[in-house]
Amino acid sequence: MKRVLARTVYMVIVLVLSSIAVFYAIRLSGGDAVAARVPASASAEEREAVREQLGLNDPFHEQYFDYMGRLFTGDLGNSLTNNADIGKLLTDHGRNSLILGVAAFVLVFGVGIPLGMLASLRRNSWWDGGIMTFSVAGMAVPNFWLALLAVWLFASVLGWLPSAGCCGPKQLVLPAVVLAMEGMALTVRMTRSAMLENLNQDFVRTLRSGGLSESKVIGRHVFRNALVPIVSLAGLRIGQIVGYALVVETIFGWPGLGQVLVNAVLRRDYPVAQFFSLVLITIVLLSNWLADVGYTVVNPRLRRT
Amino acid sequence: MTENGVNRPVTAPLLSIDGLRTMVSSRRESFDVVRGLSLDIYPNEVLCLVGESGCGKSITALSIMRLLPTPPVRVREGEIRFRGEDLLSLSGKRMRNIRADSISMIFQDPLTSLDPVFTVGDVIVEVIRAHRDMSKEEARSLAGDALAKVGLPDPISQLDSYPHQLSGGMRQRVMIAMALVLDPDILIADEPTTALDVTVQAQILDQLVKEQRERHMAMLLITHDLAVVAAVADRVAVMYAGEIVEQAPVDELFEDPRHPYTQGLLRALPKVSTTRRRLDPIPGLVPSLQMMPPGCAFAPRCPHALDRCWTEQPELATDRDGRVFRCFNPQPFAG
Repeated sequence: MKRVLARTVYMVIVLVLSSIAVFYAIRLSGGDAVAARVPASASAEEREAVREQLGLNDPFHEQYFDYMGRLFTGDLGNSLTNNADIGKLLTDHGRNSLILGVAAFVLVFGVGIPLGMLASLRRNSWWDGGIMTFSVAGMAVPNFWLALLAVWLFASVLGWLPSAGCCGPKQLVLPAVVLAMEGMALTVRMTRSAMLENLNQDFVRTLRSGGLSESKVIGRHVFRNALVPIVSLAGLRIGQIVGYALVVETIFGWPGLGQVLVNAVLRRDYPVAQFFSLVLITIVLLSNWLADVGYTVVNPRLRRT
Repeated sequence: MTENGVNRPVTAPLLSIDGLRTMVSSRRESFDVVRGLSLDIYPNEVLCLVGESGCGKSITALSIMRLLPTPPVRVREGEIRFRGEDLLSLSGKRMRNIRADSISMIFQDPLTSLDPVFTVGDVIVEVIRAHRDMSKEEARSLAGDALAKVGLPDPISQLDSYPHQLSGGMRQRVMIAMALVLDPDILIADEPTTALDVTVQAQILDQLVKEQRERHMAMLLITHDLAVVAAVADRVAVMYAGEIVEQAPVDELFEDPRHPYTQGLLRALPKVSTTRRRLDPIPGLVPSLQMMPPGCAFAPRCPHALDRCWTEQPELATDRDGRVFRCFNPQPFAG
């Protein structure tokens, strides 16, 4: 319980610090937020007026507290470029990102763990060799390149799947697989080594001496022990999915949060970029927090007696 | 039965190992670690299997349970008969039914031998339900009784404890409870007290002997501690380099050991006396199992070795006094 509380406090601190960092970084990145709002022919005075109206001339900390204050009252603001309501952007695109993210998450663990178990139980077989080769490839190939390769093969050459678009199951396949690939590869590897390590533990012999079936010994006991390191890094895997979503959504034209954020940063659309950065940071922190709590659940040695 | 002065068991053996050869094989080499071992376990007795580390005691026990780490270790030859069946040729499923229900085993280190992420109650319940058609609640109350019986304080709430929350002695009691919950005919205890504090060792040993008496079960106790042997054994089998070199009721073995290795072991025991003297170790080292001498395995260290001992393997034989040992040139023991 104490541990959970400590992790919660830690999460809030990181969130505040990263909000400052995001706020500052986007202002340091150069470019002009005003350009998006005024016609190209606008004079220097007109630009200055808009700048003043948006509060961009205020000292940094005033802008920050002003923005955070409005955020807390639920006023998310509007886009500088097209005046779109940020709350609506969040619900529309958030839904799409959630679909993609959940699909990738299911692939990472739902496919990664069984493949890793299969490799460990058929150790040094063709299964093991094939799965581990796939895993090394999955870790080594950068996802943007994998995305291009997948589009070329499955969309251009074979014509089985669309190269981009939203949001049916057919359009989902390629981005979800590309997004999940590295996490899946790591999960396979980690599951295999955790299973092998626990298969050699003394307690396995004890359970067998108790007359338990192999499916109980391996499927229940060895697996539950192997789950400890897997769950402890689940937060990292989710963080990876969120981070890679920026690239993958952009390549596949998947209208999610990542795509909105990338576009906003490119156009120096401060309110949108700030808000969606914070959303993604919050998701990553929350998932790490969940993984921490989950770690305590799967590992009773961390619980207080 | 071997109690009260009756030295020789008169009933039929409960379990009988015949010519067991267990080997380790890897790509580079293969050699036997148990080299033609024969041993009977009788109902109701405490049989101690003694010998130094690496002589094959644990491998023998794991061969009986069919729990050898295969590969690289596997039984190459022999029979282990239990209730008219050869355990070594049973199907996996039949063997699982025998484990814990008829033959149970407890291990040396109770911390690593218990699953760390399950409560002890969960595991005992699982063992019970693997053998008996019982509801979870029934099995749980049986598990609670088993913990109470081995002297665990507050047994019902300990069902929900994880191994790391228990002390070493309590963990070993949990192991015993789990091994005995189905009332087996034979308990194999592989150095059950070696990993424990000295004070706890005695308690655990007492508990084991008490259970053995009350349940009228046979116990195969594996140990390298002769003090333990003297305290609890009915019969003793001494192992050296993968084979049994002497087998005798405990009193006979301590009073009048016949095999030079047994004699050496007893001489090496420190004695309490008024004059301090140096310990008396057996000279030399155990031969490497990869390169066994052609004759008697003990010949290189034996003070009475004959020429014949270097070339010929003595058999485990019964002499005129009814003593069972493996030696061409037995000498009287002068402790």
